Amino acid sequence: MLPVVVVHGGAGHIPKERSDLSTSGVCSAVRSAYAVLQGGGSSMDAVVEAAMLLENNPSFNAGCGSVLNLKGEVEMDALVMDGKTLSSGAVSAVRNIANPIQLARLVMDKTSHACLTAEGASQFARSMGVPEVPQESLITEYSRMRWKKNLAPDANPVECQMGKMGTVGAVAVDTDGNVACATSTGGMLNKMEGRVGDTPCIGSGGYADNMSGAVSTTGHGEAIMKVTLARHILFHMEQGQSAEAASDLGLAHMKSRVGGLGGVVTVDPQGNWAARFSSRQMAWAAAQKGTLHYGLYTGEHFTQIIEDAH
Amino acid sequence: MSAVLVVHGGAWSIPDEMAPASVDGVKAAARHGSSVLKSGGSALDAVEAAVRALEDNPTFNAGYGATLNIDGEVELDAIIMDGRTLASGAVSCVKNIANPVSLARAVMEKTSHVMLTGKGANQFAESIGINAIPTDKLVTEYEKKEWEKAHDTVGAVAVDCAGNVACATSTGGIRNKMVGRVGDSPVIGCGGYADNSSGAVSCTGHGESILKVTLARLILSHVEQGKSVADASRLSLQYMGDRVQGAGGTIVVSPSGQWAATFTTERMAWAAAADGVLWFGINPEERLNEKLSQ
Repeated sequence: MLPVVVVHGGAGHIPKERSDLSTSGVCSAVRSAYAVLQGGGSSMDAVVEAAMLLENNPSFNAGCGSVLNLKGEVEMDALVMDGKTLSSGAVSAVRNIANPIQLARLVMDKTSHACLTAEGASQFARSMGVPEVPQESLITEYSRMRWKKNLAPDANPVECQMGKMGTVGAVAVDTDGNVACATSTGGMLNKMEGRVGDTPCIGSGGYADNMSGAVSTTGHGEAIMKVTLARHILFHMEQGQSAEAASDLGLAHMKSRVGGLGGVVTVDPQGNWAARFSSRQMAWAAAQKGTLHYGLYTGEHFTQIIEDAH
Repeated sequence: MSAVLVVHGGAWSIPDEMAPASVDGVKAAARHGSSVLKSGGSALDAVEAAVRALEDNPTFNAGYGATLNIDGEVELDAIIMDGRTLASGAVSCVKNIANPVSLARAVMEKTSHVMLTGKGANQFAESIGINAIPTDKLVTEYEKKEWEKAHDTVGAVAVDCAGNVACATSTGGIRNKMVGRVGDSPVIGCGGYADNSSGAVSCTGHGESILKVTLARLILSHVEQGKSVADASRLSLQYMGDRVQGAGGTIVVSPSGQWAATFTTERMAWAAAADGVLWFGINPEERLNEKLSQ
């Protein structure tokens, strides 16, 4: 059953013309992450690899391709967590770097802190030799177009948000049985400057514990925070629910209690996994036992042997 | 049912010379918050009032009296949460604001977001008429002398007569922290959590450890499974000590009015107002009391 990695590219309503890009993006990311695991890499290495690829892929709302805040600028959030030690690293509202997930990992590995924000995160990036990139390199035509559209007074950013690819993330279990999670995002379309969503908040954007499993979440950030969705799902798993049942319970609770929609990828330490969502779609892919699994719409579950050409 | 309010002024090795001021401070804040409840105020109003009183008191590491980061600046974090709706507001690394808990409440009530950080949080404050205060007004003489002050934080939890619970937590963070360091206080589920179906929690102690175990949410998961607030707190703090070698303190209140103040650090200044009695303590096992109305 091990190793296994599951990746998501965001829950929401993905316009048909972009759905191929989302599917190929998550499949590509999961293949690379799986190769890391097969080569003896850790679950942390694998989830960071997957998240970095998705950050670099302009079709996703993370790194390049991030949605813009109210001022038309890019502020990004990211989280990594190690299930063995419960160590985590996070950055919030960080600007001008290509890979926030990499910076989050550096926070975990190189500082005694768990989260750095805004200018402090940038200072730390500089001290680590992480190159500063021009903001323009992170902005796509598509994200600029959606930002402009949402400036209109009658626009509904939450709904429009769901029309854009959401947060990216991954969970994995390596051959040593260690679990990890990673989540990265440009946040909410046209958000207030300095708005922090669920992604960098441990227990909300993600959580990983060798004793129960790992979760990475996506969807309406404020709703995810109110129910601390990732931790909530793992509480259910601690009480004996399967990854799939726990994920569904968590998403249902979020919908009924605070009216929010979203999606999760979840894995338990034995390698059982789930990709579940209450939104219309979520681009996801998983790799286990030499097989690629993927889907986009509810109920979809395609498979392919991994040695196949793309 | 009668309302209950519990406050804490931080869990750490409070030096003897600071102990009386800490105890006086939490008692005064508990009295203040309790009077809000008595006059029909909500749990949310009460926790905000109690935490404001603690923020205004230079004895505590929040608002006035906050710790300096490595650049010699004051960066503040706070969270407030309403157990009825699960609505929450938080600010992290906001500079030079006297009452971060009130700014957090404004995030909750005046924006569609849950958390604002840094410059964005300060800009929001300005936009609603909350003015920045010069750094030297916020930093006390105590801080300027390099006194080895550990990490403390202030917080409150309450249940009102309608059975609604709320929590609030506020901090200046750890001494000499890196610029932009965000600890547990403003992170929902860690520094605090409130849910009418189980209770409200506010935490203090080693921030990174509290984050690792999502302490507030962990305590309430035990309550959800039938444990008393006291047992839930003890188990969770024990777990935090065992799993990640972190010490801390918590205050919890249940929707039915059960409450607990528990800590694994050397001391924690706390006070609770319930049924006309003011309970308080600072040392382990200490549980002093006096009449609430003076």
